[in-house]
Amino acid sequence: MRKHGLVLMAIILTLSLLSACSSGNKSNSSESSAASGGKGKKELNILMESVPDTEFVKQVVDKYTAETGVKINIEAVNYASMHEKLVPQLLNATSSYDLIVVDNYWVGEFTDAGWMEPLDSFIERDRFDTSVYLKSLFNMVGQVDGTTYMLPFYNYAMSLIYRTDVFMDPELKSKYQAEFGRELTIPETLEEYVNISKFITKEKGSTMYGSVMMGLRPDPISVEWLNYLYSSGGEFFKEDGSPRINDANALKALELYIDNMKNAAPKGAAGFGFDEAFNVFAQGNAASFVTYNWMLNKLQDKEESKVAGLVNVAEVPGGASLNGGWGWAIPKNAEDKEASWQFLKWVESFEIAKERASLGGSPTRKDVLTDSDVLGQFPHYVNVQKIIEKSKMIPIIPQAPQLIEILGRELSEAVSGGKSPQDALDTIAKEVKEFE
Amino acid sequence: MTAKRSERLLDSLTYIALTVCALIFLLPILWIVRTSFTTKAIAYQIPPKWFITPTLDNYRDIFTDNPFGKYFMNSMVVSLVSTVIAVFLGAMAAYWIARRVKGGNFLRIAILGTQMLPPIVMVIPIFMMIKKLNLLDSWVALIATYLSFSLPYMIWLLMGFFEAIPKDLDEACEIDGCTKMQAFTKVVLPLAAPGIMAAGILSFLMAWNEFLFALVLTGTGARTLPVAIANMETQQGVMIAQLCAATVIIILPVVVLSLFIQKYLVNGMTMGSVK
Amino acid sequence: MLSVKRKQFLIFIVPSLLVLAVTVLYPLVYSFIMSFTSSSLKVRGFGDFVGLDNYIKAFKDAYFIKSGWTTGLFTVIVVTLEFVFGLSVALMLNRIKRGKKLFFTIIIVPMLITPVAVGLIWRLLLHPDLGIVNYLLGVVGLEGQAWLGDAKLAMMTVVLIDIWHQVPFMILLLLAGLVSLPGEPYEAATIDGASRLQTFWNVTLPLMKETIIVAVLFRVITAIKTYDLIYVLTKGGPGTTTEVISYHIYKQAYTFLNTGYSSAMSYLLLLVIMLLSVVFVRLGRGKAQAR
Repeated sequence: MRKHGLVLMAIILTLSLLSACSSGNKSNSSESSAASGGKGKKELNILMESVPDTEFVKQVVDKYTAETGVKINIEAVNYASMHEKLVPQLLNATSSYDLIVVDNYWVGEFTDAGWMEPLDSFIERDRFDTSVYLKSLFNMVGQVDGTTYMLPFYNYAMSLIYRTDVFMDPELKSKYQAEFGRELTIPETLEEYVNISKFITKEKGSTMYGSVMMGLRPDPISVEWLNYLYSSGGEFFKEDGSPRINDANALKALELYIDNMKNAAPKGAAGFGFDEAFNVFAQGNAASFVTYNWMLNKLQDKEESKVAGLVNVAEVPGGASLNGGWGWAIPKNAEDKEASWQFLKWVESFEIAKERASLGGSPTRKDVLTDSDVLGQFPHYVNVQKIIEKSKMIPIIPQAPQLIEILGRELSEAVSGGKSPQDALDTIAKEVKEFE
Repeated sequence: MTAKRSERLLDSLTYIALTVCALIFLLPILWIVRTSFTTKAIAYQIPPKWFITPTLDNYRDIFTDNPFGKYFMNSMVVSLVSTVIAVFLGAMAAYWIARRVKGGNFLRIAILGTQMLPPIVMVIPIFMMIKKLNLLDSWVALIATYLSFSLPYMIWLLMGFFEAIPKDLDEACEIDGCTKMQAFTKVVLPLAAPGIMAAGILSFLMAWNEFLFALVLTGTGARTLPVAIANMETQQGVMIAQLCAATVIIILPVVVLSLFIQKYLVNGMTMGSVK
Repeated sequence: MLSVKRKQFLIFIVPSLLVLAVTVLYPLVYSFIMSFTSSSLKVRGFGDFVGLDNYIKAFKDAYFIKSGWTTGLFTVIVVTLEFVFGLSVALMLNRIKRGKKLFFTIIIVPMLITPVAVGLIWRLLLHPDLGIVNYLLGVVGLEGQAWLGDAKLAMMTVVLIDIWHQVPFMILLLLAGLVSLPGEPYEAATIDGASRLQTFWNVTLPLMKETIIVAVLFRVITAIKTYDLIYVLTKGGPGTTTEVISYHIYKQAYTFLNTGYSSAMSYLLLLVIMLLSVVFVRLGRGKAQAR
């Protein structure tokens, strides 16, 4: 009998909760519906990726609020969720966001769909100097076909990060000299790189791999392999726009990649993402790692890494690394574009850009990258500037996300033995040809 | 005598087997707890350091870096309210269907049919509807959306439990002069309490763990825990130690909540009826 | 003519139908229409009507077909293992008197963790080089595996992680069914002198039938829709060994932006699940009436 009473009580509770919340809901909805104002918006909503560079922006925006009285709300979501989050917003008549950041993958797609507001009239009116940006970055996340849609926010050009102590190890050096008749140094070609990395794995076994790699679909494997492709003289497309991703250069790049993966990288690297690979390197179990240049700052952090002080950055062997970056853009359906631009102009001004860089941000402006204070703090930026200037980007086409997806799938097939390298590359070429 | 002994043997075997099972579930959880008190560098150290000096930094970080308390509140409210509504409406609907002779099969399939489409294709129309109603980033939006899966599942699960209860019982009550509602609340509900609790927990957890709708429909105001947790996987790596700390914080209160609910689930009402 | 009682009874179902009409029917119809159009996330509205083109395209899409088989395999393995394991644990939990709460609490903890976190945590535990699992295997003298990075093992690894995460659901439902069973048939069986196995086979299983079908079908549907775990663990790799259908559809919608095509694939999937469910429901109801 007591238990029946309890159940009844539960039902009564349910009922009362129900009525309470149905009335509660209404007040909540009116409170939290996006604050919308007309011109002269006093509150800006920005959608950003959850990375340290976003944190550095968060740390400086209070200044903007103090100067102008405009409140800045930054909503940070992770990379994988950004596209899902942005697309429905951009598709609508109005957007909840006044400013967004755009990855270089999406530039072609976003301009093709007409989702971004051209900035040229603002730039001209306010004489904002865009020549301060590194050219390879501005051509990627700035200008598309002569129209400026974005201002470069931060760069993530790839590079070779290596262990200075391993490459200086006299014992390894003399053994290498004895076996191959040449000196063990930071390699300048891919063949030499793969050779050295296999040599180190052979010598040191499981305590030190020559290189750690990342074979997870679609981004890690694609961006890693594109360094091999570009450094082997390969390209996605010929001048006439037809694919050449299955030519001899690409095949060589893929064979070297698979050779390195099978004979030098740790077991299971075919399933590694950025994080797994990073951790192998950070624990001191790998001599080299093709990754974003700013990983160096993280590897110098003792909380995350055991190799702090023993690492440096160089260009990817072969010299052509993969460029990457994010750009600020104003959505076409933003409510008050003038207000958005005012903030954008401020956050990308020299002073603020320098402040963000000194907090650890990854610069896009030449004058910040070569600033003596910044260089004093991060001496390796001399190398980074060279890497960015020589690097090549993923082609800006509307189907770039598809391109990466197809690339990742087929490369993974080739690495895991599901297809021969040539078959995999032919499949990519065939599917790329079907893009209209 | 032998029967008693075999009973006792079986009892000890059961306990041994259960302990093994519990360990399978528990050990990874313990590792999560341990990781939540370390730094990333120690988390990935092999061979592992067995004795670590615990740090509370991760716990501090998750509360200072983002309004974790607010996200927790959002998750709790949205999951609880949608579950309560689903239990309430779903139990009645399930009873109605369970006691129908004709068309039962069709209704069953139809109700389940609403759940057969991957949520991915439902997101776009739902987003547009919510946006039109100007309800983006609100609790209502999530509660309504979560009802779209918790209510059908609830009906579907409870039908089974109601059907297991002999019809004669509530019919007898009706003959004695109670209304359908009384027969339902006085006779059927108490007997089905374990099922209702199980289905309620299930519905709560589906809402608690839901990611895609929460991502697309919320901003920072109504953001829920799964979205906040997903943000710990960044382009610069997974904040594994903070993620483990967040997981621990998420698990704890729900474990407490489930301790309270278990009374109905584990012991059931059968013991009551036997007494 | 409805009697007053029938009318009163309608109150039971009407509110649910209303809620469902608003929250489910609209998106269902919307995506059904979308499946016959060239609709893309790049343009507002539906795009052009293309008839059955999307459906025909699906049958020609080798990766779609392959992901269908992968999903089938995944679902069968996962649900079978979870059912066997779940039923055994539920029976054991139902048997013991002391420590029931403790065991139960431990066992349900995994399902409180959000799938994204489950994936990331298991990636930590299963890291081939730096994970605790391979380390412990090494301690007892076994060779560590590449787990998610090995084309032959990846699927099995995903299955095991999914079981760890989802089997509590199965235990929960089956246990709820077990504790609701009436006591009389068991007393009768004891009087008849039935053995333990006979009692289980002739009393427990038939009485549990409804619950079992509900629980299994519930897991079949959620297993077919699995995509977040795959997303975090393997992204369908290595190669296409773990590319399940929901993940394939997800990519068509969000990477390729072909919402029309992804809706068509979803409706094909719906058709298959629907047929499966009809079989299951018939199975359950048929026997129930015989009883």
